[in-house]
Amino acid sequence: MSLRKVANVVGLLQVFIALSLVLTGLVALAYGDGDATAFFQSAGITFLVGGGVYMLTRFEGDVTVREGFAIVTMAWTATAVFGGLPYLFSGVLDDPVAAVFEAMSGFTTTGATVFADIESLPHGVLLWRSLTHWIGGMGIIVLVIAVLPYLGVGGMQLFRAEVPGPTPERLRPRIAQTAELLWLVYFGLTALLALLYLLGGMGPFDAINHSFSTMATGGFSTRNTSMAQMSPFIQWVTIVFMYLAGVNYALHFRAATGRLAYLKDAEWRFFTMILLVAAAVVTVLNLASGSGSGVESSIRDGLFQVMAITTTTGYVSADYAQWVPGARMLLFALFFVGGMAGSTSGGIKALRVLLLLKQTGNELRKHLHPRAVFVTRIGTKPVREEVATKVVAFVILYLLLCLAGAMALAMTGIDPLTAIGGSIASVGNVGPAFAELGPTNNYGWISSPGLAVLTFLMLVGRLEIYTVLLLFHPELWKGRRSFH
Amino acid sequence: MHRRMRGTAAMRVVVVGAGEVGYHLAQRLSEEHQDVVVIEAGPEQAEHAAQQLDVQTVVGNGASVSALEQASVREASMLLAVTSHDEVNLIACLAAKRLGVPYTVARISNPDYYETDAVLSQEHMGIDLMVNPERECARETVQLLQNPAFTEVAEFADGRVQLVGLKVREGAPVAGKSIRDLRAQFSGGYHYVTAAIVRDGKTQIPKADSTIEAGDRIYLLVPTSEIDTVPPLAGYDAFDLKRVMIAGGSTEGQYIAELLEEMHVECTLLDRDRRRCVELAEHLTRSLVLHGDATDLELLEMEGVSGSDGFIAATGNDETNLLSSLIAKEAGAVKVLSLVHKFEYLKLIPAVGVDAAISPRMSTVNAILRRIRRGRVMTVASLSGIEAEVIEFVVGGDSRIVGQALKDVDFPKEAVIGTILRDEEIILPRGEDVLRPGDDVIVFAMPEAIHHVEALFG
Repeated sequence: MSLRKVANVVGLLQVFIALSLVLTGLVALAYGDGDATAFFQSAGITFLVGGGVYMLTRFEGDVTVREGFAIVTMAWTATAVFGGLPYLFSGVLDDPVAAVFEAMSGFTTTGATVFADIESLPHGVLLWRSLTHWIGGMGIIVLVIAVLPYLGVGGMQLFRAEVPGPTPERLRPRIAQTAELLWLVYFGLTALLALLYLLGGMGPFDAINHSFSTMATGGFSTRNTSMAQMSPFIQWVTIVFMYLAGVNYALHFRAATGRLAYLKDAEWRFFTMILLVAAAVVTVLNLASGSGSGVESSIRDGLFQVMAITTTTGYVSADYAQWVPGARMLLFALFFVGGMAGSTSGGIKALRVLLLLKQTGNELRKHLHPRAVFVTRIGTKPVREEVATKVVAFVILYLLLCLAGAMALAMTGIDPLTAIGGSIASVGNVGPAFAELGPTNNYGWISSPGLAVLTFLMLVGRLEIYTVLLLFHPELWKGRRSFH
Repeated sequence: MHRRMRGTAAMRVVVVGAGEVGYHLAQRLSEEHQDVVVIEAGPEQAEHAAQQLDVQTVVGNGASVSALEQASVREASMLLAVTSHDEVNLIACLAAKRLGVPYTVARISNPDYYETDAVLSQEHMGIDLMVNPERECARETVQLLQNPAFTEVAEFADGRVQLVGLKVREGAPVAGKSIRDLRAQFSGGYHYVTAAIVRDGKTQIPKADSTIEAGDRIYLLVPTSEIDTVPPLAGYDAFDLKRVMIAGGSTEGQYIAELLEEMHVECTLLDRDRRRCVELAEHLTRSLVLHGDATDLELLEMEGVSGSDGFIAATGNDETNLLSSLIAKEAGAVKVLSLVHKFEYLKLIPAVGVDAAISPRMSTVNAILRRIRRGRVMTVASLSGIEAEVIEFVVGGDSRIVGQALKDVDFPKEAVIGTILRDEEIILPRGEDVLRPGDDVIVFAMPEAIHHVEALFG
């Protein structure tokens, strides 16, 4: 493990963050809300620190697997710290922990906010929140790999450590080309969405912010009521694009090159089926209870909330805390599922859930045929046993992490039910949760220790647990040779 | 014994490889009086073939041009590349085609080489026929399995017509009836040709007034599409193949399972190598794969061998296969088949009570002989139970039999025209039918009639 290499790559990444801070500063300057200086100050500090570290630690050679894990975790942590600076410098927040929380919530596309009155925030701050979503959605590292292919073989380690899902697909022989294509699809969809928002009557500023937030499955809005006051057209467009953001980008890329592979993908079928069934059940329950305000709006609300939670976007179009218990419980279950592997969403991921169900089915069949050899399949593709085992371990770790997080939150004095919701929503990068962290509430009232716990949970959730937890494993730091 | 087809000039056939497949091919072709040259890399096998068979042998690599030239391949009308190495067979065929051999056959096991849309397709490589030994064996096994009534099955005309042998049971609808009655009675159902009736060990070619009795073994030529209608007429219950157990995850076993899966038969496959089990489970989407020994009685019983319609012992070891078959038969599996690799063991099969044995190598030899055309003779099949032979002829423009109604042809009494295949049509011959050039004709003939029949078609 070479800390020099870790520091070097992390430093370089901060130069990019400084660059995006400058861009935001320029927009803030144009709006003249007085927060531009805060961004330039933040950019300056970030650039000096990041650039300095980078210059001092230049190295020859490649990044190893262990360094890869350390780099990704450190990079995300540093990014959240520097990304939180403008919140402090502009004076919208006083507590450094809250600032880092807000930035981490942005970069991890969680969308949990400490701000109660969002509409009073200056334009620069609003744009920065959305931009952190957008950058974090496809992945900071993936962005850098796309721009700077110098990481070479080590790039694959970083890519693997950052991209959601058990085994990221390579679309092109070189990892840098793959990263570039992913960003291209991401950028294209975001531009298309912004255009549709404009057509739907949104102002240009709101359109850009919301398109960043939607495509990243983030959840930050520029409005206090999130999406609740938006027109039905905008809500429908958002439903469609939240869905698209929750689908594996490799499938979008194939479609863009003329090969529609959606239907052939077993995970896609499973993911889509979950969404449709859940939305139908929620809609029927709401209509039956008479709480809906009409068939179209009930269908729209049902689809919107199911989509917002399953893809871990966390937008709110209706106060689901007021729904009938059945519908609320169903949403609670969806907090765990998440989008597809290779999407910008969080959660366990549909692929892992599907694999787990199939694996469980096979375990049941094993009781009938103790000597049978079963192969778990996704579609027609057999899944290797090690991969299947890892997935089972991941899901168990995920649930344990949610539990541990809830425990830690409760220790800071938060009511257990709220703690459970907050923990799950943070690990899954969803945002809004239940009880006192419900769709109409915010995270502003939580104490600094509580926010620190939530920040950690968001990071661990975004990097899919292993990457971060490995840093706490003593063997990573020992000199023992790794054979990977 | 096969004999020279009169009216068809001897051909030069080059056989590459004198392993079991090559050896037996050379033997059968040589007995048909074809001029056979065997190319074999191993001096001992070459020597063995030279001593035992009436063939010329060349020691060398069959894929090398010099060895092919030594075998005078330019004068050959056919090359059969049947070594156990796919690539050698492919190259031998490629080279032979370049050297002007009109017809080449390759034994190819690896399914990758069968991709028809590949750049290196069969046509591009100049191979006229590719035979996959494991698949041939699997096909034969499944055919035998499909119907417990059949003791023998042979395919003709690319599988469109089958010759089946089966024993008529007491009380069968056909028992005690004459052929004429049967034709009248089952105008819709009994429209296949009764090729032979075997009674008390004596084979007879039936006439219109011959009767079928219970206990007879009858041979019928049946269009493949109607094969299911045969067993009920002979007194067998309609047989529904629902559950099959395959002991042994050999390549043959895997292919058998694949074929059965296509037929929606519930399939259980077991192998004692865990890695192989995983491989099988990855390939076979619907079969149940078990890790265990083919002779593990407890496991077989637990997984329901007694309720299986079929059991196939398909390990690579003959002794294991026979033992496994015995266990399955004892446990109550309806039809038990076994793969038997060593030819000497084939004789033991009736004694141990296994329903049928399939020799993977023999089924390859048969598959090749059945499909390669030797002059006007397309196929010859000899049946194990009786002396008669089934020969598939193609009618030539100068054949003596052309242009006359069959009833006017001087056709020998000891032979019968089973089926006429004209383009896509399968015709059951009547007295009024007239043969045309290009027709495929399947003839069932007793040995003494064969010369006469050949003369008619020559």
